[in-house]
Amino acid sequence: MSNYLELLKEFIKTDFQLRYKNSYLGLIWIVLKPLALFGVIYTVFSNIMSMDDDYMMSLLLGIMFITFFSEGVMMGLGSLMAKSGIILKIKFPREIVVFSSVTIAFIDFLFNMIVFAIFTIFTPVVITLPSILLFIAAIFSLYFLIMGAALFLSVIFIKLRDIHNLMQVVLQLFFWATPIYYKLEMLPERLQNIILLNPLTRILIAVRHGLITGGDVGVEDFLKLAPISLFCLIFLLFGILFFRNRVTKIAEYF
Amino acid sequence: MEQKPIIQVRNLKKSFFLPHQRHDSLVEFLSNPLRIFKPGGEQFTVLKDIDLDIHQGEFVGIMGRNGSGKSTLLKIMAGIYTPTSGSVKVTGKMVPFLELGVGFNPELTGRENIYLNGIILGMPKDFLKKKYEEIVEFSELEKFMDMPLKNYSSGMQVRLAFSIAIMADADIYILDEVLAVGDLAFQKKCFDVFRNYKEQKKTVVLVTHAPGSVRDFCDRAVFLKDGVLQINGSVEEVIKAYEQG
Repeated sequence: MSNYLELLKEFIKTDFQLRYKNSYLGLIWIVLKPLALFGVIYTVFSNIMSMDDDYMMSLLLGIMFITFFSEGVMMGLGSLMAKSGIILKIKFPREIVVFSSVTIAFIDFLFNMIVFAIFTIFTPVVITLPSILLFIAAIFSLYFLIMGAALFLSVIFIKLRDIHNLMQVVLQLFFWATPIYYKLEMLPERLQNIILLNPLTRILIAVRHGLITGGDVGVEDFLKLAPISLFCLIFLLFGILFFRNRVTKIAEYF
Repeated sequence: MEQKPIIQVRNLKKSFFLPHQRHDSLVEFLSNPLRIFKPGGEQFTVLKDIDLDIHQGEFVGIMGRNGSGKSTLLKIMAGIYTPTSGSVKVTGKMVPFLELGVGFNPELTGRENIYLNGIILGMPKDFLKKKYEEIVEFSELEKFMDMPLKNYSSGMQVRLAFSIAIMADADIYILDEVLAVGDLAFQKKCFDVFRNYKEQKKTVVLVTHAPGSVRDFCDRAVFLKDGVLQINGSVEEVIKAYEQG
């Protein structure tokens, strides 16, 4: 058991190292990509409409948030395939491979949070202890959601390669269907209700409330998040069941 | 007194599904979604009714032509494939050397690859730290440890891989054509390692095409042909059958 923990650590360590090997800027790309996207959207939108500081920070946090989701899902999707050489030769719990990929995306997110923290020096935000807790609860929910998706997709990808391209489109859809660069209130009410069906929207609302406008975080915010967290947890459990059920035969399909 | 076998294979059957055509594109899937549940293809039986007992301390050779099912049998023993029917019971710690250098990454240094590969083979990190010098010394690659693996010659790579693999402590070793690697001098060292396993009463299952190795090491051997275990007997018997095809 302890050896599996070491295996997980080793996978995380080497994959993290290897990702930007031979690239000039190396690990800086982790924060550079979301920052560049932020720069593009900020430049475009600040010319279209007036923006306050809260909007700017919301946009930055939103981009970091959706980057974690997209990268986590895509890295998780390819995780089994990427380790097929090892899976075909050694027996170990295959979940480790998926878990390590999603965790790498999470580590990237933590790096981005450092960048966010640097931004707060110039643009103050309101953070309180309850708001930090709300943020952590929201991020846990997001992690469950990504992990659940990765468990489903990594297995499906082995048999149906198109899922990779399909998911790239789906992730684009999620990008637009989550209030990242627009405010939810800007939309007509009917559209708002649709956007609110997207679990990412509600998680992002909690994330922003926790890290930008945390002054008035109260019990009702946690209660609002709770059903979403529960949904993410159940989704993860289904993911685990699906994965366990299918993965024993996976070595035969590479 | 009859000892309980350490590896017990009973009525083992393994078949693979071979699709006539790969149905892994979305267009094909959408053109007939039901096909994902019932794709066209056929069952190909690789192993038929295998019964095999291997006891503690035995050195067993498996011979057979390419495609006779040797590697599939090893993979089922190692728990990578599941049997279609029948059972395989293994008691004790097993280390499968189905390939040397599993997980080796060309971009990482020799040192980093020692830890990566060692942990993949199930060795704890602390243990690897203790054995590090020994691994390097055995591989005779002291000067190259901080160099990326991609700059190693293929001979050097297998030497490093072999040196890590032999550190794994187990009751059962499964070897798929990995008996001796490197140049002549290094091969001698490899053979010493296996002689040592034999003295320590380790259980070894060896797949090889080299009759010499089977003669030198194995207590007995089995002969596979077209997925059927045709002979389970003496080394000479099996070598004779193998040489006749």
